[in-house]
Amino acid sequence: MDTPVPAIRGRNPQDIVAAMQGFRSGERPSTVMGRIAKGFSDDEIRAIADWLAAQH
Amino acid sequence: MQTTRRAFLGSSIAAALFPAPALAQGRARVVVVGGGFAGATCARELQRAEPRFAVTLIEAGPTYTACPFSNSVIAGLRPITAQRFAYDALRGEGITVQQDQAKAVDPLRRLVTLGDGSTVGYERLVLAPGIDFRWGALPGYDEAAAQAMPHAWKAGDQTLLLRDQLDAMPDGGRVVISAPANPFRCPPGPYERASLIAYYLKTKKPRSKLIVLDAKDNFSKQRLFQAAWQQLYPGLLEWVSLSNGGKVTSVDPSTRTLVTDFASYKADVANVIPQQKAGHVAEIAGAADQTGWCPIDPVTFESRLQPGIHVVGDAAIAGAMPKSAFAANAQAKVCAAAVAALLRDEPPSPPKLINTCYSLVAPDYGISIAGVYHPVGGQLADVEGAGGVSPLDAPPDFRAHEANYAAAWFRTITAETFG
Repeated sequence: MDTPVPAIRGRNPQDIVAAMQGFRSGERPSTVMGRIAKGFSDDEIRAIADWLAAQH
Repeated sequence: MQTTRRAFLGSSIAAALFPAPALAQGRARVVVVGGGFAGATCARELQRAEPRFAVTLIEAGPTYTACPFSNSVIAGLRPITAQRFAYDALRGEGITVQQDQAKAVDPLRRLVTLGDGSTVGYERLVLAPGIDFRWGALPGYDEAAAQAMPHAWKAGDQTLLLRDQLDAMPDGGRVVISAPANPFRCPPGPYERASLIAYYLKTKKPRSKLIVLDAKDNFSKQRLFQAAWQQLYPGLLEWVSLSNGGKVTSVDPSTRTLVTDFASYKADVANVIPQQKAGHVAEIAGAADQTGWCPIDPVTFESRLQPGIHVVGDAAIAGAMPKSAFAANAQAKVCAAAVAALLRDEPPSPPKLINTCYSLVAPDYGISIAGVYHPVGGQLADVEGAGGVSPLDAPPDFRAHEANYAAAWFRTITAETFG
């Protein structure tokens, strides 16, 4: 698909966790992801990352 | 399709966690009424969750015309064909797509009667009827009046009517938009529409004026919109709040006049966005309350009035969640996971939902509002500390990124729902 947003399906779960935690803390710049990541706990981020990694 | 970060974030933790054991009771029947973002998503997620489910989607139209980005059609920036989606992909996944209207719902016998007189039985029914208008709530504004003064709040012919009226208007004309009181579909929508019509006027008919008459004093992304209007459309776009006499109390379609308590505004083009309620089928199923909308359980989206019937999307009373395509898609995923769990006699998991709404104030100037939601005390509430709007002081490249992301979001969600 033609999109500026990177595909995340099947990505390494560590990368997703790091990205979400970075968005949440503000260390990783974003437009909207910082606002969204603040709504998720570490356990939820981990569950999201594991689920995504299992998708292909 | 690829799953983007944004698409994934619309999915629920519940969907992430449920296992897929064999069904105890064989081929359970689930009927979904309404093939928009909520209904089409729900049908798809149900069929994917359990291939043995017999999923029927009842939708009156052969195609769906999407509302997000339809303001760009009105402003002449986009063809209506870019808004239309068919159901071929859903059929290809084993969903029975029945092109008809649901004329009656019998919650006790669990039967839906279609326009052709046939009936469809279900173990679980999902209603995703979107909105209907409260014709007559605004004196003078009925279905016939919508030909002279289009609402364009369901995308399709009305979108084209408003576009063509703007196109035919001479330079120097006066456009008036009437924005409704809460709640209504797409809270930032009237203001995105005002912005893009202002953009059209500025670039094509610069001597024209646009007035927004509002039944509210506050609206979604207000400071961002107003800052952008001051910067981009000074002297062209005027917003009249409720306190300043903006509430329209009657209209006269024969003269395209909008009347408030203090003045009457004769328009060359008038866009009247009427008050709304849940789509008709919610009413006939007994799932709508005295507000006209549908109270639901925030974990399962099961109706609080009709057991066995679930309501998702704009028709539902979803607490802090706005009536948006993003929210409809997210709710549909949660509902599908809950319905699948209930049909397996498993407990549904409490969900966490996301919404993001982009608005364009100009083609290269996007703004957004986001929220994260969870059930608290029987309602969907904001997760504290999360969500919010784009920064007020962002540089132009930030606005351009958000405009690009808006377009990418539309491609992603429509591919996920219909593609």
